[in-house]
Order: sequence, then structure tokens, then C-alpha cells
Amino acid sequence: MKKPRLSRLKIIAALSIFSALVLVGLAFFMAWYVKELEGEVTKKFEGQKWKFPSKIYSDTYLLYPGINVDARELQEKLRRLGYRLAQGTKSKGEYRVAKNGAFIDVHLHDFDYPGGRFEGFPVRIEFRGGAIERMANLASGEELFSLELEPELIAGLYDRIWEERRVVRLSEVPPLLVKAILAVEDERFFRHRGIDPVAILRAAWVNLTSRGIVQGGSTLTQQLMKNFFLGDERTVQRKLKEALMALIAERKYSKEEILENYLNEIYLGQKGAQGIFGVSEAAQFYFGKELRDLTVGEMALTAGLIRAPNRYSPYRSVEAATQRRNVVLAKMRDLGLITRAQYEKSLRETIQPRELIKVANDAPSFVDFLRKELAENYSHEALTAEGLRIFTSLDLKLQKIAESSLAQGLKRLEEAYPFLRKRGAEDRLDGAIVVIKPQTGEIKAMAGGRDYQASQFNRVVQAKRQPGSVFKPFVYLAALMYGSEDGSKRFTPATLVEDAPFVWSYEGQEWKPDNYRGEYFGTVTLRTALEKSLNAATIRIARETGVRNVREVAYRLGIQSSLPALPSLALGAVEVTPLEVAAAFSTLANNGVRTQLLSIKHVMGQQAHVLERRDIRVRKVISPQLAFMMNHLLKGVLDRGTAAAARAQGFTRPAAGKTGTTNDTKDAWFVGYTPDLLAVVWVGFDNQSKLGLSGSQAALPIWTDFMKRATEGTPVTDFVAPPGISFVDIDPLSGQRATPNCPQAIQEAFLEGEEPTATCQLHPAGGWLEKKLFPFSSLPTFRG
Amino acid sequence: MDRKRMLFAQRRARRPAGCRAGSLFLALAVSAACAPPATHRAPPRLSTPAPSAEAPRASLPPAETRPAPEPAKPLEKARKENLPAPPGGTPEARRTPAPGEALPEDSSLIAKISPQTPPRRAASLRLTEEGRKLLAREDYTRALASFERSIAIDATNPYSYYYLAKTHYQQGRYQESLNFLDVAESRFAEDPYWLAETWALRGENFRALGFLQRAESSYARALKINPGSRTALQGMNRLRAGSERAPR
Repeated sequence: MKKPRLSRLKIIAALSIFSALVLVGLAFFMAWYVKELEGEVTKKFEGQKWKFPSKIYSDTYLLYPGINVDARELQEKLRRLGYRLAQGTKSKGEYRVAKNGAFIDVHLHDFDYPGGRFEGFPVRIEFRGGAIERMANLASGEELFSLELEPELIAGLYDRIWEERRVVRLSEVPPLLVKAILAVEDERFFRHRGIDPVAILRAAWVNLTSRGIVQGGSTLTQQLMKNFFLGDERTVQRKLKEALMALIAERKYSKEEILENYLNEIYLGQKGAQGIFGVSEAAQFYFGKELRDLTVGEMALTAGLIRAPNRYSPYRSVEAATQRRNVVLAKMRDLGLITRAQYEKSLRETIQPRELIKVANDAPSFVDFLRKELAENYSHEALTAEGLRIFTSLDLKLQKIAESSLAQGLKRLEEAYPFLRKRGAEDRLDGAIVVIKPQTGEIKAMAGGRDYQASQFNRVVQAKRQPGSVFKPFVYLAALMYGSEDGSKRFTPATLVEDAPFVWSYEGQEWKPDNYRGEYFGTVTLRTALEKSLNAATIRIARETGVRNVREVAYRLGIQSSLPALPSLALGAVEVTPLEVAAAFSTLANNGVRTQLLSIKHVMGQQAHVLERRDIRVRKVISPQLAFMMNHLLKGVLDRGTAAAARAQGFTRPAAGKTGTTNDTKDAWFVGYTPDLLAVVWVGFDNQSKLGLSGSQAALPIWTDFMKRATEGTPVTDFVAPPGISFVDIDPLSGQRATPNCPQAIQEAFLEGEEPTATCQLHPAGGWLEKKLFPFSSLPTFRG
Repeated sequence: MDRKRMLFAQRRARRPAGCRAGSLFLALAVSAACAPPATHRAPPRLSTPAPSAEAPRASLPPAETRPAPEPAKPLEKARKENLPAPPGGTPEARRTPAPGEALPEDSSLIAKISPQTPPRRAASLRLTEEGRKLLAREDYTRALASFERSIAIDATNPYSYYYLAKTHYQQGRYQESLNFLDVAESRFAEDPYWLAETWALRGENFRALGFLQRAESSYARALKINPGSRTALQGMNRLRAGSERAPR
């Protein structure tokens, strides 16, 4: 009978040993687990806590007396920059408009420029006749002769989510704000050790009585742990882990350290793609203020927002925000944080309704282009986590015009030519536009396609297409520069060339390109051949001047793609990108000075130090005289030639340009420029389908629409002849000096010494009597 | 004029000349060249040439080649009428000098602004002037930013290109400097004083690069246009004295 008793004891002993072992194992496991968690907490607290996305900015906006900017336009700009319309300009970021629109007072924002910090001050900008008349510093009375408004934020570079955050020290946060946050989020913060049983029991009781989850018992430390390490899932396991981590954090770090991290970590709202994190960023976002400038009411609202930032956001509902603020104010009063008088005063503070200005990413192609440029010097980690600030050349106003001109222009084409839209989504008509300031090489706008959401292919830089006739000016420039290859002949704009069917025998092969629509014009001047884009005349010139010279000129101007020295080069049977075309023609627009294309101007690190600076770079590659002669010739393309439709469409400024149509009509181009602005438009299909339209039909209307809107209100400028140029009236039929009897004369630019000497033989001047009677007989002179 | 504008005007009139120097930060973002009271108006040109950083006094040109003191009358007139000085200095300064005669010093860009000056040229000139001051303080980064902004406003302002070239020269970027001088040269065709300065600075760059023959011919070209060009005279003196070995 004893045996079973013994065996029971044995069993009990064995179970006890087993339990002890399990407990010991569990204890070891727990110790290991706690150690692991402690490692995680330590790593977070002592390592990099937050990722700071890089920000891409547009170019700054320069104002000066006399610039054609009216009150409405400036107001729109200020709105986009996040300035608020107010009664006065007491605080930074506020502006007011005079009732009669005669002036705008604006209190400028502070801004960290690459050259140093700009401290905002109030300015008055006076208008007269649609332009700025005068600007003055309202604080000092000092007159201002130029004023730079900060750049606009175009986009952010981030990993998964865009966390917008300004990290502050605890000492920089007003104590009353800290107390208000503790009052609503964790009243017993300084009395618990990470978890607060009292708060948990109270929350449990409230939730039980209200039969739902209406209150949480999490401490501020637990919230911080959740945000740092854990997701939003409501599981017991997550809760336990959160509590354990809170206990570890409280054991390892001081209350002040935990509080400081919390104040910087906490999520406080949403601005489009940007999440607003931390109290400092929130103060800027909701009130446009530094933390130290917040009123009691604003502090109460900030504290109140933590529970449900988007529900109580004043951007969403001023009423909800006011109610929530008042709840917090009452609690602050009850706890003795504010006096009754402060409470009453704060209740009277009105929360101003504000407009949410989101970062719209209006220049997605440009941002993609920048990403590639930046990737050459900066790692993905640096770009998404180190808070770089990238200052660019982009002009958002031009960008918006470029995007809409392209999209609307392509839509109009599809409406006018239904065969273009029959091809379905896979084969959709598309295009590209790039805008450059020739004197600086700055890329001011870029649209790589009509719909970025549908296709991210950036045709400005990725589409290698045949330029067709857009290439011809290089032939003419080579001819003017080098003359004939054997050195026996010089070309001038008045040189006569034959425009008739022509066969070019080259290395045993024959090449016989036709003119557009098979039209030939016989003997024409070099100008007429270029203005009418005559293939046969052009290849005769190319043969005389030499294809190698043509290629050399193209490279010299800025074409970078490899070009074969074949006869077909003269008609653009090579592949180049719209950006290359823009670069090459901007050298002509800039009097023969080639500028290095500029998109990134500065890169600043997080500590407001400049990491990279890209200056304007120039190099004279052709003489200003030759550049002027080419511009003078290409002006004729718009005034009389293949792009005359631009004039009919209402673009009247002096401008030069060239249409481009490939032989198989797969590509339509137009490149055109004033002395101050150049734009290249390409239209076609990505899969090289036939477009069936010329450059003047498809690309020119888009260019014209863009230029008309882009140059509106800017001063009209013309190309200025450098010394060494002489002007002579030329009869376009004979290419000789015009006489009073010539039915048409074109003022032509020549290199001094190369002017024709003979007078027009087709329309010789009249006799002695006619000369005496009409000594100043006027001709219909077309100034090209 | 409303009351606020009158107050502005009074405050401007009371302002001391010293307020022309804005804070360093303001200088970056705001060209705050104050409109000084009439008695402090800058003369259309400097009667005494300002000493330049690269021009030690020992090598100043002989007195007879220095510009003659400025006649007082036109300046007085400008003061009395409270009008901006005519562009390019006084009529005397703008007259075409006889061959071999030194051209008067033309160093005030603000004096080139008149009521007829197009607004964007005026704004651009003021930024160039601001950049010049920064350059004199050897604040190259901000000087470059000022000149680039001035080109952004008015790309035909030749002075900005000249001073961009000068900034690059002072930073030892001689090829960059020469590139900008090419641009400046083509835009100074009608302005012999500045054309000579362009050639003289070109000479300085060639000398620094060690191309002494090209430096000499550049100085000679400058002196042919303006026999009083201080930079060219000093450069030529240095070349002849052979006291320096130009860095390569």
C-alpha cells in the first residue's frame, strides 16, 4: 500500500522539479526578452530616432519696383507660400490687402537660405498700373529695391511616409504647453513608473460603465513606446510589450528625456502627403508660430489635438477645434494651471479658419529628373532620412502653364484630328515640353508627358527621337561659319541655293530626300531655304559645307548624343532628346554662349550648411555675330516661314524658332525662343506610330499657347546686334541689294565685309528721273 | 499723399546715411539700398579711384594718367534738383576721349540709374552694386548669389558678367573668369571704359594662368582702349618687372 504513495510523491517531486525548471526557463526567457527589449529601447533613444525627408524647393521669387505683378497675382503667390490674410501684419506670415488694392502689407516668414538665415520683417508693397511701384520695410521705413520671396516646396523625398518634424529641446517648449499636454494625456506622469494602474482601473471602469472604449489608460511613456516601436493593432500581446518597454524606458531614462521625445514624436495632423509630427511643427502648421509665441488658447488646442488630430483640426472644423480647446482650457483651469482671468480671456480667442495648402507635386517629371541627378551624389538613405533641402531652378508659374499647355494642346489635337485618338490607351498621343532660361541655363519648367499618373516616362530626357528639320539650323550655322568644305566659298543669308530634286552619292550609296509635300522652289536664298525648311536646298548646303562640320557645330552647341557623319544628319535623321535640343538652341539664344543646364542650385544639410552649390557656368562656343545671324534668320521662320501660324495665333513678340517634322511624320517638334525664354515641344507616340502631322500643325500650337501665357506682362526684348554686323535690305528672289523697284525686301544681317555689292538685277532701279523724283522711295521692308 | 506715406517719406528723410549698410542677412535676401537724403547722394562717379584689393598703392599709375578730378557743376545740379545722376556719370565723363587720353573712372553702378532706366535694369544694377560690396568684403558666396540674381532679372546687364568674372578670378577660378569675360566683352561693345576693364581682367587671368604673352597682349589691348586703365597698367608693370612668378 506504500508503493503507490511513494510513486505519488515521486510524481509530485517530478512535477515540482519540472515546474521549477519551467519557471527558471521562463525567468531566463523573460530576462533575455527584457534584455532584448532594453536593447531596442536603448538603440532608439540613443541612436537616430527620426527620419527627416529631403525637401525640394522651387526657385525664389524676385520682386522689384517696375515688375509687372499686380496685387491679385502677389496675393495668390502669398497664399501658396502659406501666408494668411489677416487684419494686420503683427505676426510673421500674415498679410493684409488695402481696400482699393493699392498696396499689400506682408510680414515675411523667416527662411534659411543657402546664404544664411533671413529674418522676416513687415513690408509694404505698393502697386500702380498693374506693376509694383514701391516697396518699403514697414518697421524701419527703409525703401527696398528688390525683395526675394521664399521658394515654394515642390515635393519631399521620403521612404514610406512623409514625417514633417522640427525637433526641439524640452527647454524650448513653453512649460504651460507641457502641463496642458500632461493634464489631458497623462495627469500622473511624474508619479508613475511607466504604467499607471490607477489610470488603467479608471479607464476600465469608464469603459465598462459606458459599454465601449471611450478612455485609455496608457501613460505618455506607453504612447511613446507604441509610436516608436509598435503599430496600432489592439492586441493583448502588443499591450504587454508596450507596458514592458515603458517600464524599461522609465528605468533607464529620466522623465525629462521621455517627455522631450514624446513632444517631438507625437502625431498632430496631416497636410496632404505630409504628416505633422511634434509640437513645434504643429505650432507652425496650425498657427504659423514658434512655440514660444503661442497663446494660452493655442497651447490648449495643441494639447487637445493629440487625441484625434484630424477630427479636431481647425483646418477641418473651427467649431470642433474650439470645443476641444475649451474642454482643455476648463481642465487647465480646474487643475490651477491657469487663472480664471486667463481662462476667460482664452475662451474669447477666436480660431481663424485657415486654408490648407498641400504640396501638390506640380512638377513630377522635374522631380524625377532631380532624383536621378541627386542619386549621383547622395545615397537613398541620405535623401530620405537626412533632411536635405534642395533648391532648384523651377519656376512653378511656368511649370503650371507648361503642363496645361501640353495637356490641353494634345487634347485639342485629338479633337481636331480624330485619327489620333483611335489608337487606344496603349498607344496614346503624348508629348513633352521643356523650358529654359538661355542666359543662365536654368531649367524653368519640364513636363515629360500629358499625364504623369498614367505614364511616368519622362520624354524630355528619356525619349530619344529624330529631330528632323529642327536639326537644319546646325547645317546653316556650319555653312555661315565654315563656308564650303574646300574653302572656296563663303555663305551668307543671301547666298542663292538650288532647291530642286537632288541625289547625294555617298560611299557608294545614293540618297534622294524629297521636300515636304514634294514642292520645290527653284533658286532660293539661304534664308528662304531655312524659313521654308526646304530639304533639297538644305542638303546641297550640307554637302558643300561638309557633314563633319555640321556635326561639329551640333556638338559645339550642346547636342550630346552620338551623331554619325552621314548625309542624313543634315535632315536630322539621328536620335536626340528634347533636353539636348533645348540646350543647343539656348546657346544660339544666348549669343553663342553655351550654359551648363542647371536644375539643382544648392543642396543644404539639416544644420543649414551648404553641401553643394552649382553656379552658372558659361562658355563662348560661337561668335556673337554668327549667333545673331542665326537668330535673325530663325526669326523669319516665325514671321514668314513654317511657324507663321504662331503670329496668327497672337504671339507677336520678337522670337526665333524652327519647326521639325521627320520624313515619316512620326515626330513633330517646335523649338522657339525670345532672348529671355526658350521652350521645346515634342509631340508623337511612344511606340513610334505615325503621327501624320507636321511640327507646325502639332507642336507649334502648344509652344505658342505656352509662350503667350508665359511671357504675358514681361518686358518685350529683341535680339541685339553685336558690333561687326551690318544690315542690308535684300531682295529675297535675287539675293542682291534691293532697289526701290523690288516688290519685297528683307533686312538681312551680314558679317561686316560680306555684304553683297550688286544691286537687284531682277528689279533694277529706275532711270535718272525716277531717282530724282523718289529718292527715298519706301519699300515694303520686312525686318526679319 | 496719405498720412502713412507721408510718415514714410519723413522717416526716409531723417534716416542717416549709415543705414545704407543693411544687416548681413538682409544683404542676402533683400537689396535694401536706402534712398539717402539729397546731401548724401552718391556722386555720379568717384573723383578719387577706390583702391582695389589687387592694386597696391606702390604700383599706381603716374599722376598724369589718373582720371582728372570731377567737375563739380553737374553734380551740384543733380543735388539741387534731387534727381538721379545721369547714367554713365556726368556729360563730361561720357564724352568720347581723344585717342591716347585716359577714360574717366566709371565705378558707380547706382549712378547709372536714371528715371529712364528700365525697371529691371535698375533692379539688376542695384543687385550688382550689392554684390560688388560683398565682393569687396571677400564674401564670395553671397557676391555670386547677388550677381546671379541680377542676371536672373536682367540677363543683358553686362556689369554682372564682369563682376562674376572678377569673383571667379579672386577665387582662383581663372578659366571660369575668362568664360564670363567673353560674355561681358560682347555686351560692353559700346562702353570703352568697361571694355578696357574686361581686357585688363582678362590679362590678369592669363597672367595667373602663366600665359604671359597673352596677358601682355590683353593688357595692351586694354591700354589701347583706355590708357588710364589702372589694372592694365599695374599688370603690365608686374609683367615687365618680372617680380612675380605667376602660379600655374
